[in-house]
Amino acid sequence: MSFSFDLEPLKASIDRFGVLNPPYLLRNSDSHFTVVVGYRRLLAVRELGWSDTVCQILPDDFPPFEALLLNLQDNLVHRRLNSVEKGMVLKRLTRFLEKEEVLANFVPILGIPSNRQTLEQFLGLEELEEAIRISVAMERLSPRVAALMGSLGRDDRLRMNDLFTSLKWSFNQQWEAAQWIVEIASREGRSAKDVIDEGEIVGVLDNERVNNPQKVKSIVKILRARRFPSLVEAEKLFKKGLSGLSLPSGVNIIPAPSFEGIDYKLEIVFTKGGELKEKVAELSHLSGLEKVTEFWKGTEHR
Amino acid sequence: MKGFRIRRILIERGAESDSLTKRVLDELPNAPREHVEPYELAPCENIEEMDKESLRIIHFKGEFLKPCPGTKRYICCGYKILNVGSNCPLDCSYCYLQSYVNQPSLRIFSNLQENLDVIGDIIDSSPDRIFRIGTGEFTDSLSLDFLTGWTDFLLPFFSRRKNCVLELKTKTSSIKSLIASRYRKAIVVAWSLNTPRIIANEEHKTATLKRRILAAQECQKAGFFLGFHFDPLLYYPGWEAGYEQTVQLLERYIAPESVIWISLGSFRYMPSLKRAIKRRFPGTNIFDGEFVAGLDGKFRYFKPIRVEMYGKLSERLDKWHHDLGLYLCMESDDVWRQSLGWSPENSENLCSYLDSRVRKLMGD
Ligand code: SF4
Repeated sequence: MSFSFDLEPLKASIDRFGVLNPPYLLRNSDSHFTVVVGYRRLLAVRELGWSDTVCQILPDDFPPFEALLLNLQDNLVHRRLNSVEKGMVLKRLTRFLEKEEVLANFVPILGIPSNRQTLEQFLGLEELEEAIRISVAMERLSPRVAALMGSLGRDDRLRMNDLFTSLKWSFNQQWEAAQWIVEIASREGRSAKDVIDEGEIVGVLDNERVNNPQKVKSIVKILRARRFPSLVEAEKLFKKGLSGLSLPSGVNIIPAPSFEGIDYKLEIVFTKGGELKEKVAELSHLSGLEKVTEFWKGTEHR
Repeated sequence: MKGFRIRRILIERGAESDSLTKRVLDELPNAPREHVEPYELAPCENIEEMDKESLRIIHFKGEFLKPCPGTKRYICCGYKILNVGSNCPLDCSYCYLQSYVNQPSLRIFSNLQENLDVIGDIIDSSPDRIFRIGTGEFTDSLSLDFLTGWTDFLLPFFSRRKNCVLELKTKTSSIKSLIASRYRKAIVVAWSLNTPRIIANEEHKTATLKRRILAAQECQKAGFFLGFHFDPLLYYPGWEAGYEQTVQLLERYIAPESVIWISLGSFRYMPSLKRAIKRRFPGTNIFDGEFVAGLDGKFRYFKPIRVEMYGKLSERLDKWHHDLGLYLCMESDDVWRQSLGWSPENSENLCSYLDSRVRKLMGD
């Protein structure tokens, strides 16, 4: 149950101290062996050029489910599984148990939130391309985003993986952007790859004068404007209206989120009572203030 | 109904001797039966797929008459739900029941008839109030009627009361038992309507638009009052032409004078519903629009989009007839004003408005 790991520390340890815990094997019907426990140890031994090492052979009638549990137990004791490996464990468990049982008894042991949706996300990881699995295993791609990619075509998935691993995205940013890309693609009848490869985003990616966090911010902004054209237009109109008002410095007017509520907030920054009084007086004479709730309206939505 | 089949009946402990159980078992003599414990999932019940092929008969211990779950942040119509069961054999992609993950299977309450007296007492004890009651909130009112015979006992029960109306809301054309019944008074038969494209792509296993409207026409001719619900309105390129087609069919087949009300409500959803829908209907386009978080936590179209849809559709319906009892479902005062040009301002006034429709059309 190993994927995308660094073998060097283990090799160094085995080279110095030997194999302290012998691997466990099961004999197959063709007289070959299946490694139940100690796959990475055996790999290290081979890479060190050793010709033999001591292994334990499990009885022929050792139940496969017990073998799986033994493997899980060994892994949990010795190391931290990455997300892809956790997905591999869960997938194998579902061959023997109902998902409800896996959810109740094994998902919490692996440190995964115990809900059906998350379980499904982990179960799908093994099906994805190696490049994507590596991104997930190295914690450069959110497992949730990887699961979403599972519903896309191969080219779309790989392009998205490139986008999210080439810059420094937070998992939340990845999730938001991935959903928008998929939804823009669905609405416009295009592929996710085409949405990413569209001029504006490529322009940001190719711009050498901006750093990675700025690039992420710009791409999020571009995607949001495409996903919510009317809302973004309304926000622009509102901002433009406010800037035309000549509000006193330190004064701001904040609409309800997405203009859904009808209440607006007035924010006044001041250090002295006299300053507050002045700003309030200035506001009371400001022409156009009475129209502030209309600024964003009349949005032509697309 | 298209492609509907009950593969097994799950009888919960306590429901065995109820009258509705007996009736269902008589109707489906060959369906395999299993006895199950209340609240216990049977191994065959597939939560994720809603398990629309199992029929679970439940001796319900909760309240049968409940207020419609409105919220203070939007204007609500004060409807009462007659809880006859939940889930239905139709399969609308947007159905909000899909996010009730622990409730698979078609669920019907076997002791409804035995509890009608309690409901009668509630209605009769407030003779000055109008009770607008519906069975179509958690299920389709008519899709299981051939099995349950709901209309056989609900129609006479509500028809003989002065201060209530029973609305049967459906997306089917299953009106046989209604037409055969001799009760009409206080009964509204209502259809959820949408554009032909939405019906074809999103309202799986339901009757086509034309069939629904022809069924409505038949009910109208048989003396029933009608209601229509444009809910959920969905925004997509060509939506206007789509809803125009629907209104044209109404114009052609329905006499507007006995339409008691028409509601308009835009598609809204909780995030958990979106996840469930994406899983069950990965190809659906219903999330393509611009949805923003509403004041009640549900996602709705950005306000100007809702206003445009309500405004245009209400204007069009108004052209058909000026007095259709149009109202908006779960909307704010400002959206009412901008779309319909007036607002009841609050839920109490909307209730009064709809009550007045009942009095006006059905008489005191
Ligand atoms: S008819 Fe109503 S209850 Fe049935 S699937 Fe459609 S939305 Fe859900």
